[in-house]
Amino acid sequence: MKRTGLMMLSALAVTAVLFSSCRKEPLNDMTAEESRIYVTNYDEQADFTTFKTFSIVDSVAVISNREGSKKELTAYDQQLLAQLKSQMQGRGFTLVDKAAKPDIAMNVSRIDNTSTSIGYNPGYWSGWPGYWDAGYWGYPGWNYWFPSYYSVFRYNEKSVAIDLVDLKNAKEGSNQLTAIWNAMLRGTGVWNSNNLDAMVKALFDQSQYLKATN
Amino acid sequence: MKSIKTFILGVALIAGGAVAASAQSRPPLSVNVNYSVAQPLGSFKDYADKTSFRGWNIGVQYHLNDQLAVGLKTGFADFYERVPRAVYPGKGEDISAVQTRTLQTIPILATVQYTFTKPDAAVLPYAGLGVGTANMNYEKYWGEFVEKENKWAFQVSPEVGVNVPFGKYSPFMFNASVQYNYAPYKQYEIKNFNTVQANIGLKFHIQ
Repeated sequence: MKRTGLMMLSALAVTAVLFSSCRKEPLNDMTAEESRIYVTNYDEQADFTTFKTFSIVDSVAVISNREGSKKELTAYDQQLLAQLKSQMQGRGFTLVDKAAKPDIAMNVSRIDNTSTSIGYNPGYWSGWPGYWDAGYWGYPGWNYWFPSYYSVFRYNEKSVAIDLVDLKNAKEGSNQLTAIWNAMLRGTGVWNSNNLDAMVKALFDQSQYLKATN
Repeated sequence: MKSIKTFILGVALIAGGAVAASAQSRPPLSVNVNYSVAQPLGSFKDYADKTSFRGWNIGVQYHLNDQLAVGLKTGFADFYERVPRAVYPGKGEDISAVQTRTLQTIPILATVQYTFTKPDAAVLPYAGLGVGTANMNYEKYWGEFVEKENKWAFQVSPEVGVNVPFGKYSPFMFNASVQYNYAPYKQYEIKNFNTVQANIGLKFHIQ
């Protein structure tokens, strides 16, 4: 009987060990680099070669659902804007002043959200206070429109959104500026300027269609 | 050897009544606990091709006679693979991500098992079939963002194996088996759940 008890106990112990070492947790050994995702959405109908000039915002909109929205131009923001400019120029687009009727507007925003909601559509932030007003691009009172086929992932704390808006085909009377490209940087460390080089390069590497000439 | 004999004698005395009553060589109710290793196959292998070393199962059986037993079993297996950064194209969208692809499965199966040899054999080979359901927990991480779906699927698991009693007529046995698991489970890139699984453990007849 003593031996049977011992057998039972050891079997139980083995079971307990098996139970406790059940699953491998993906987040336990994940580096910050591995945690980040770079998402780009584009209008499949758009022919990007019909656009020649672009202009970019002069600072970065900081959008938050906790505190007041604001525009900032930190060292990170300056570096981000400079890299976006140089990537766009590298694709053959000409940087012009926003007064010179650019074909494309580039809106840049940082989003700081504590929402626990698990799903959202891209461009949802365009309706929030703090996002670039269409008036900035000379279309006061207009709204932005993000086509519904855009789908993006669930939301985390901090992210960066870059939107290309079609100004060339802005139709009078529609009061809508259509977004033709959207990029999101999400995950741990997206607000860290040391990661900017790799992140911005990745966005353009995966968007080969984004060019002014064939 | 002597201690094993003493042990068997002890158990035989305890179980003697039941053995005599049912004319079976061992008490009819048995429990088995196994550690298991599973290898994905087919489209499931394309999703996560790493062999799972995080698995176990536990079962109870009622032995109708020395050869035929019916029972229930359950268990767990965790499949996991981390894929280096790649760009995943979609409709009007591209996502650059390190994917961590995981699936946890918990089957609950009714079993029937047939042993080919007489109960006094040194090795008891058997074949069995498990039919039931399995909970499939799909968790695909895009970076740190998880895409999660949980559902149940029908599962069928044929199995062949051996029980090796620790001495003639011992109610304690070493167990080793190989089973194939199939579930018509569809989730995104997984067209069905398809694994081959090896189990090693202990089986004991309790009463």
